Amino acid sequence: MAPSRGPQPLARTLHATLENHKGGVNVARYSKGTAKYVLTGGQDRTVRLWNANAGTEIKTFAAHGYEVLSITVSQDNAKFASSGGDRSVFLWDVATGTTTRRLSGHMGKIYVVEFNQDATVVASGSFDSTVRLWDLRAQARLPIQILDEAHDAVQTLHVGPTYILCGSVDGHVRTYDLRMGELRSDFLGHPVASVVPTEDSQTYLVATLDNHIRLMDSSTGKMLNDFTGHVNESYRTRACFGYAEASVISGDENGQIWAWDLLDAKPLQPNPPPKVHQKLITWTEHHPTDAGEMITASADGTVKIWRHPENSAH
Amino acid sequence: MTTRLKRKLGELGVDTSSRKANENFCLIGTPLPPLEKSKDTGEFVPLWKQEVRDEKGRRRLHGAFTGGFSAGYFNTVGSKEGWTPATFTSSRNDRAKKAAMRPEDFMDEEDIQDLKDNRTIVDTTEEMDFMGGTQAELQGKSVDDSEKDPITRALETSLLPAPKDSVGAKMLKKMGWRLGQGIGPRISLKQRKLQDTQAYDALTGTRYSGTTLDLPEDDEEANKHTYAPRDTPILVVKRKDNFHGLGYVPGRSLQDSLGNTAAGVSKGPKLAGGFGLGALNDADEDDLDVYDHDHRSSRERVAYDHINGDDDDTVVIGGRSSKRNVPAPRSSSSVQHFRDGHPVLTGFILSDHPVAEDKWFPLPDVPAGWKPDPKRVWSKNKENIQTPAPVPHAQPHAQWKKSQISADQRGSILGEAPLQAAQRSVFDYMSEKDKERIKRITSGLKGASETGSSIPGPPPPPVSLAKLEPHIAQAALRGFQPFKSDPVKQARYNAYLLSQANTDGSSPPLKRLPTQAADEFQKELEDYAKAASLFKPMSGAMAGRFTSAAVIEAGPKIIEGLHTPSEEEIAEKEAQKKKEEEDRISPKAHAAKMGMYGPLTRETKPWQPAKLLCKRFGVKEPNPEPEVSTEPMAGPSSSAASASFTHPEFDQPVATAAGKDDTAPSQQIDKPRDLANIGLGEDETQGQDTLTYERPSMDIFKAIFASDSEDSDDETPDNDDEEDVAAPAKPKETGFISATTILDDTPIDMSTFKPTFIPREGKNKKSKDDDKAKEKKEKKDKKKKEKKAVLVSFEVDEDGADTLEVKQPKDRPKKKRKEKIAQDGQDHGMWATKPPDEFANTTPEILAPAVPPDQDLASSQATGPKGRKRAIDFM
Repeated sequence: MAPSRGPQPLARTLHATLENHKGGVNVARYSKGTAKYVLTGGQDRTVRLWNANAGTEIKTFAAHGYEVLSITVSQDNAKFASSGGDRSVFLWDVATGTTTRRLSGHMGKIYVVEFNQDATVVASGSFDSTVRLWDLRAQARLPIQILDEAHDAVQTLHVGPTYILCGSVDGHVRTYDLRMGELRSDFLGHPVASVVPTEDSQTYLVATLDNHIRLMDSSTGKMLNDFTGHVNESYRTRACFGYAEASVISGDENGQIWAWDLLDAKPLQPNPPPKVHQKLITWTEHHPTDAGEMITASADGTVKIWRHPENSAH
Repeated sequence: MTTRLKRKLGELGVDTSSRKANENFCLIGTPLPPLEKSKDTGEFVPLWKQEVRDEKGRRRLHGAFTGGFSAGYFNTVGSKEGWTPATFTSSRNDRAKKAAMRPEDFMDEEDIQDLKDNRTIVDTTEEMDFMGGTQAELQGKSVDDSEKDPITRALETSLLPAPKDSVGAKMLKKMGWRLGQGIGPRISLKQRKLQDTQAYDALTGTRYSGTTLDLPEDDEEANKHTYAPRDTPILVVKRKDNFHGLGYVPGRSLQDSLGNTAAGVSKGPKLAGGFGLGALNDADEDDLDVYDHDHRSSRERVAYDHINGDDDDTVVIGGRSSKRNVPAPRSSSSVQHFRDGHPVLTGFILSDHPVAEDKWFPLPDVPAGWKPDPKRVWSKNKENIQTPAPVPHAQPHAQWKKSQISADQRGSILGEAPLQAAQRSVFDYMSEKDKERIKRITSGLKGASETGSSIPGPPPPPVSLAKLEPHIAQAALRGFQPFKSDPVKQARYNAYLLSQANTDGSSPPLKRLPTQAADEFQKELEDYAKAASLFKPMSGAMAGRFTSAAVIEAGPKIIEGLHTPSEEEIAEKEAQKKKEEEDRISPKAHAAKMGMYGPLTRETKPWQPAKLLCKRFGVKEPNPEPEVSTEPMAGPSSSAASASFTHPEFDQPVATAAGKDDTAPSQQIDKPRDLANIGLGEDETQGQDTLTYERPSMDIFKAIFASDSEDSDDETPDNDDEEDVAAPAKPKETGFISATTILDDTPIDMSTFKPTFIPREGKNKKSKDDDKAKEKKEKKDKKKKEKKAVLVSFEVDEDGADTLEVKQPKDRPKKKRKEKIAQDGQDHGMWATKPPDEFANTTPEILAPAVPPDQDLASSQATGPKGRKRAIDFM
């Protein structure tokens, strides 16, 4: 392994396919910590817990009445939250498989839900163009705060240690900085599909529905890099960083997994990438620690776990 | 009273204690009223104690601040017993009995009294009808007699109240006056007859033709008596409410009015009908009774007038005047015949007056050769005018004004003697010397400025140029051209302005025209000055505020017929729409479109996160409310402590301060403030960082870590675990670093992370103490964890001291968690489940990738600047 020689090649060897979902899969997320497990949520109104290594389903969490659009896992892996078409955030206890709380208040389907770092607050972004911040410590029914600056549906959220990053269909990425007490809104001009900040919070990756993924500077709002080549015009497709944030990975609407070098914004080989999913790829997430593993969720109902050949051997 | 006097009085046998002896005759001041109430109502009460009470003893005046008037019971509608609303009683059965409500039913006694008073006044005024008594009587009778049958009349008279005489009538009656008589001493029959003959109709001025005493003159019996004088008709001057000419009497011909016709024929035409004629339609020949006509008044249209004049205008006191509106049939029993033998229609009589004919005078004979010369006639009677100069009369005023004849000229025309002082000028009052001097000056001037003196007499004063401010002149030059219609004048105006604008004399002053008089020139210049100040454009400062309209709106262009837009039009419209859309998108959107992300696309505005949110995120509240300042010391320390819970990396010094004893600040918040040590003394941690800030030696580190590793020998380090924990810990080190720190990009030296170790040491001790006091079991669990974590770090530690860098951030979250547990024990249940372990049990173990730890570290270090891209890399 030569980490200094640019980004690692993408893990493109299929390790396992998780196919139990009936209908498209909207979200697939690694568990926290060692990230051995994968939680997926799909159109079939279930959240499924998988063993990523074995490719087997461990548990099905079925309480949603509508499709599941977003999942977030708490830092201790003891609970997770999911949201979807039924306009409330469901809080789950992983061990018992039941919902512990249902936070209702949104007026539309909730596209995204995100815990803060110690899972004391859950943020939810909805079609009603608001972001609601729910307190999980207290039993209060009302949200702590409602961020209603967005003019259109909030599609993506990221809750950092001291800031909340949310991307909306109105083409804005809004950074609510709690420490500074200010709201920085960057206009991108196109509906924002996903926002993923780097670990140092200095930059963030924005996928917009104009076939562009942009790396933006958080402090100035300038565009640092622009990644193109893929097709992403009408669906929410999550783009993420590759291992050690050296590359950018995104699925596209043709079922291809694209990867770019972060620095020179050139697509990594193979270019164009092979089509690995039947339908659009809705979610791409790289393993948080493992350099050679990532998952993709697709509208064709499958979640695929990709590994490097040497990793998949064991 | 002195003792001596007392003794003396005692000797006299007077009881000194008796009232009489003590009686005081000396009064000083107004005596206060007695304290107890006396029955004496006439007792003197000072003004401020006087009360006004009504007949029922209620106090009427309360003073302005206590309610003013009183009404009811304490100004309520009720009584002392309270107020009960009237209960509903059905009036269905006794509806007939129920009297109609009168206003008096709703009045109290005062109102009724007021009403009574008013009524009496009204009654007296009604009775005081001086003229009305008789007049009303007259009118009533006049109507009654003609139209009502006797029974009705009798009933009416019995029902109606008896007519009351006015006071004057009463007095006259007392004096023997009767109705229908005149006022005055009684007269003989002869005199009365004379009065009757002399009587005139008051209204028309004609001879009175009414009732007279129809007694024969020679009646002896009648001669014996005296008679009341004839009733004088009162002339009631009617208010003029029509548009007839003055003196025109309706229903009368001109001759009638003049009184030169007999009373008999002044009746006017008789109408065959008597109704059906309006004011505007002439009486037709059919309607007019042509046979009973005065020929002279044949063309009169009096049908309406006559009806109009029906009003009984004459008032005869006491007597009943003959009713003219009643068609009194002329009882002519003998049938009259016209001259041609035709019988006169019944009800008509022949006029015995001949028909008057128009007088025509023959024209005078005009002598041959006569020419009309009106002037001769006009001037015949005007002997005072000698000169036949009617010119000024014929002149219209405007022309006369233009001719500008001076007063002297007028005087000479009128032949007045000229006044001596008229021609005197200023020069007449000057001495000879002065005159000469002026002459010299003017002669000198004549050469230079050719203000030619074509006018004889005293030279006109030099034309004083109407001065204009240069800036006004300049502005006027640029502004409106007032004399556009007259180019010559405009040119002169411009020249004048130029001369005024350039004060340095570069442009010559305006010259007088050769044909122009001096005063005319002067006037012209004044006009120009006025025009310039009037038409100068707005001054610069003002003009900047307005913009003149660039587009003259002429309204929409209207195309006739059905509108069918052509393709060009549609295309044009679309292009316009597109352009508008482009215009509409903000510069922000435009920048985004161009890919110019940055300051253009960024908007920053203040946002206040909720207090609770800040608490949950462990962030000090930005822009805190002013109320925070009530605890000036506790605030920062607590926030610093909270910051250290989650993100100790943020502010190293703060974390150090709080980290010394990080449980202390949280307790401190709850403590009530001690008055004894308000201020800096309140903060127990203050100054601690400065006092105890010293970097522990490496031995301490080693001692800590070595002992930890030794304690945890029973647990064999799991390779997989180590890998898992070590790797995710890495991102933690970059929690939130401000951009400036990034830009520095200085390698992390020992001093920056060092303070985080001090709290750890302190924390360990502190938490141990606390936990010991509380729960030991929980502590054990924690310790296990701690050991585990430290064990990992120890593994890394073996590689060398510099690897502490990696270990340090990994430590942070652990410590944070422990702190939390120490603070609130509720959370520990969450930890008891240990989910990752649970997960691990269900899954087969995976071998960690065979990467030697040192290499991993090296790679992580290498990727630090290389692998992970930062914003700085792109700059």
